[in-house]
Amino acid sequence: MKRLWFALVAASLTPVVLAGQRDVSTRLAGHVPPAVVAQVQGLADTAVARGLPVDPLVNKALEGAVKGAPPDRIVAAVRTVLQQLDRASDALRPVGVTGANAIEAGAFAIAAGLDSGQVATVARSADRAHPAATALQVVATLVALGVPPGRGVGLVQATIRAGEPLGDLVSLPSRLQVAMAGGVPPAAAAEGLERAALNHLTPKAQGHGKGQGNPHRP
Amino acid sequence: MSRGFDPLVKQMLDGERTIADLPPELHAEAAEALRLQSAIDRRDVSLSRGLEARVMAAVRARADSPAKRAWRWLVAPSVPRWAIGALAAASLAALLIGRSSSKQTTPPVTASQPAESAYVKFVLYAPGAHRVALAGTFNQWDAGATLLARAGDQGVWTVTVALPIGQHQYAFVVDGRRWVTDPAAPNVDDGFGRRNSIMSVTPTSGPAL
Repeated sequence: MKRLWFALVAASLTPVVLAGQRDVSTRLAGHVPPAVVAQVQGLADTAVARGLPVDPLVNKALEGAVKGAPPDRIVAAVRTVLQQLDRASDALRPVGVTGANAIEAGAFAIAAGLDSGQVATVARSADRAHPAATALQVVATLVALGVPPGRGVGLVQATIRAGEPLGDLVSLPSRLQVAMAGGVPPAAAAEGLERAALNHLTPKAQGHGKGQGNPHRP
Repeated sequence: MSRGFDPLVKQMLDGERTIADLPPELHAEAAEALRLQSAIDRRDVSLSRGLEARVMAAVRARADSPAKRAWRWLVAPSVPRWAIGALAAASLAALLIGRSSSKQTTPPVTASQPAESAYVKFVLYAPGAHRVALAGTFNQWDAGATLLARAGDQGVWTVTVALPIGQHQYAFVVDGRRWVTDPAAPNVDDGFGRRNSIMSVTPTSGPAL
């Protein structure tokens, strides 16, 4: 039965091990210069205090190190990510969206070129069938493909309002790419997709809006 | 991919150009190249997922119940006395260290906890490359963690990996020094003077570019 004692002692270590995993310094040590570790740890503490996710900061620091970026540039890039997370959180909180995934997606959307108001608009359009995080990821990807932010927001809104399935929402970027491969400029391709979504709007979808199945679809 | 593409189209597939950079007469060829690459991308995904399910079902069928295994492990008399003492001392020390470090890092309650993942196949056309790796947010940007394998002798490299649900940024690392974006995916500024490809993995539909 000695192993029983062993197990009990080991169990007491579990919270410590978990705390170590959360320690940003531990995750960065050996990968980035010590001076960078200290500064990123400080930025991570700020993020935690504001209720922001820390993983994007750690990832950006690791990315900078592996790409051979100088220390000051790594810290600047991490600080930029923190600012984007902060802006996203500020935009999403009034809409009632506070999840880490949504904040990360909002920060990505801001990095792609959306402003805070557009992030809030997309989040407000989301519903149970079309989560805010997914909608923000989609619009950010559309903008990364060259769609003007306002047009991207309109396309995502129209798709959700039309009650299209989630799969149709997340496939918008690949459908856009198909049109672009045929020589259609991104903005025009997005406009075409938005027009198609609006054509799917039924009286029911127009009246009640969100998350309804589309009767025109097979 | 039995025929050769125009060198400019190959450069587009290699991430060095976009389709908009190509002369109009090459747009159809570029579109065909992208279509072929997309077609390669989709097929193995469902097969891999089913294969994993079958393998795991077979493994689970052979395994004892968790309770039975835990009880057998607990009652087996194989830990020496000194190990228990050492572990107790280590536990005490670790608890003290943990208390002091917890002042610096509050638990990140909003940290991502991806509950699901999906298989994604990455393809890069890189003739002449000796080594191609995949680095991104999903493997802590470790340029040695995920290597692509040659698919035939036409310069196509592939790898299939399980990615957590969510948004990912990544790039290919060719021959350990050249960072190349995925020509089949959108890309964004990486903050270090280069570009990262982006991919969203969703619970319902697998990867969505």
